[in-house]
Amino acid sequence: MIEFDELEQRMVLKLVYYGPALSGKTTNLLQLHDLLVREGRGDLMMLDTADDRTIFFDLLPFFLKTPSGLKIKIKVYTVPGQVRHDATRKAVLQRADGIAFIADSQLIEASNNFESFDNLERNLAFVGLNIDKVPLVIQFNKRDLDNVISEAEIRRTWEPTGIPVQMATALNGQGVIETFARLAELTYDHIDRRYNLKNEHGLERDVFVGKLAAREK
Amino acid sequence: MTGKDNRQTFSYVVGAERRLADIIAEEDVMPLVKGAIRAGAARAALTDDNDNVLWSASNGTVTDAHDIILPLYLEGEVVGKLSVSGDRKNEGNLKGLAELIQNALKISLASKLKRMLTTEIHSTVINQSYEELVEVNRKLSASESSYRNLAESLEVKVEERTEELKKALSRLLQQEKMASIGQLAAGVAHEINNPLGFIYSNLQTMDKYVTRFMAMLDYYRSAIPEAAGKSELMESCRRKWEELKLDTIRADVFELIKQSVEGAHRVKKIVSDLKDFSHVDASGEYPVDLNAEIDKTLNVLTHEMPAGTEIARNYGPLPGFVCKPALVCQVFLNLLLNAVQARRKDLRLVVATMHDGENIRLSFADNGPGIPDEIKNRIFEPFYTTRDVGSGTGMGLTVAYDIISAYGGTIEVDCPEEGGAVFTITLPVKRIV
Repeated sequence: MIEFDELEQRMVLKLVYYGPALSGKTTNLLQLHDLLVREGRGDLMMLDTADDRTIFFDLLPFFLKTPSGLKIKIKVYTVPGQVRHDATRKAVLQRADGIAFIADSQLIEASNNFESFDNLERNLAFVGLNIDKVPLVIQFNKRDLDNVISEAEIRRTWEPTGIPVQMATALNGQGVIETFARLAELTYDHIDRRYNLKNEHGLERDVFVGKLAAREK
Repeated sequence: MTGKDNRQTFSYVVGAERRLADIIAEEDVMPLVKGAIRAGAARAALTDDNDNVLWSASNGTVTDAHDIILPLYLEGEVVGKLSVSGDRKNEGNLKGLAELIQNALKISLASKLKRMLTTEIHSTVINQSYEELVEVNRKLSASESSYRNLAESLEVKVEERTEELKKALSRLLQQEKMASIGQLAAGVAHEINNPLGFIYSNLQTMDKYVTRFMAMLDYYRSAIPEAAGKSELMESCRRKWEELKLDTIRADVFELIKQSVEGAHRVKKIVSDLKDFSHVDASGEYPVDLNAEIDKTLNVLTHEMPAGTEIARNYGPLPGFVCKPALVCQVFLNLLLNAVQARRKDLRLVVATMHDGENIRLSFADNGPGIPDEIKNRIFEPFYTTRDVGSGTGMGLTVAYDIISAYGGTIEVDCPEEGGAVFTITLPVKRIV
């Protein structure tokens, strides 16, 4: 649900990192903040936490301009993963334009992943979004740990759904930019269909993704 | 969303877009720009992204100003400019001053925005939780009230069902009683019928035989005087005749036989009425003439009626009414027995029947004491009786009411001013069996 204001030549996009508690959503944003180029990006805003657990959300904003002069603001949010913060998740999920689902690869977390995904589906429906239409990528995080679900099994499960899956170890930055870039691509495709970013605004997909997900040299 | 074409602005629940002036206020900025003047700048100003001056301060001097202009970022976007002007000679100081103010504003912006977002999400969550709680509360109240209704109506329903069961049980008991009385009556009737049969035919045969005896006796009496002068024999015969009181017997014997035959006839009729009334021969429902059923009931009651009872039968022609005759006879019996028991002297009963095309109406009026108003609505209740303990079951009218109800009819009582009680039964003729 893109906010678009032609008069002001302004567009606001909202991307949300969703997933079970302690799966690494905030870590993803911290890594993006550290790894991506400084230009065109705001500071990571972490709202107050309790015992280092997100209770509200984190926000990493991006800003870019198309050759046509259209200003695009991209706000990347995390949600709190703990079950009890469902009201916050619903509020943050409202009007999302793309979602990265951060799953925990550990075998013992399988049911939590499932429950959180189920919760995502229900909450999307609650805020009037269809999980089959909204741009969605899945990241299986914590690949560095033992006792994780095998990549082959993940691919076997998720490939038939057509949802892109990215392996990651967010703690040391692996797969974090790739996940974000993939989400940016899907989101671009979704918006371009409606707002002709390429033809009307001269914004190519590669440029859009490149500007958002450019690694600091 | 606004109505303008190609313009979609949403109200975000959290994180709506904000301009510089939405976040920081005069009291955040003015101390900084004033501080710049005190620190030696000629002019300091903060402009928004359209170069409108939001806040500024100046010392009034117009010099060969040198401007230091620094951008102000919000979420990666340039949202305003800070300009600090002063003497070119002081360029180094001015730059440092501008950077200091830029940093101070950046920190102020970040902390204020963070506070705003926190407040926003916090109040959203609280509102949403409140709404959810209100909704939960509403659902709980609804389910509680439906449970309460259920509980309340359950009590009433249990009472109703209990009442129905009680009635059904008493009806069954009564029917069983009637059935056994009927069986007993049928058995007795059968046992009486056989001896009654030979008594009846023997009496008739005896009538013939006695006629012959009489003829023979008469023949002797007329023949003997003509025999030869045996007056001694004749005399002894005449004495014997007198001794045996044959004149009286001769006069009485036919009357005796006639009375005996009549008696046997009556017994036969009683037995037949009893059989009819108990309907031991009939089973199931079939169309019956209610006038005839009332007559049968009255016949059975004949011996219960006090002497001098007047019975008026104002019968109209009735269509056949499909029912179990034993049951309707039970109703008539109960009503008539009440009337009989209500008055022992000069009882007058008026039984009237009529058919108005739809309903059969039967009324049983007596000239008894009537029914007091205060108990009129209780008389159909089971076990309600005004008689002494042991002499009334309190079931008579209840059974009558139940039977009539079962046939889709009504039974009502009325006490006219001139006295007595009138029970009126209304029965629909077209009853779906």
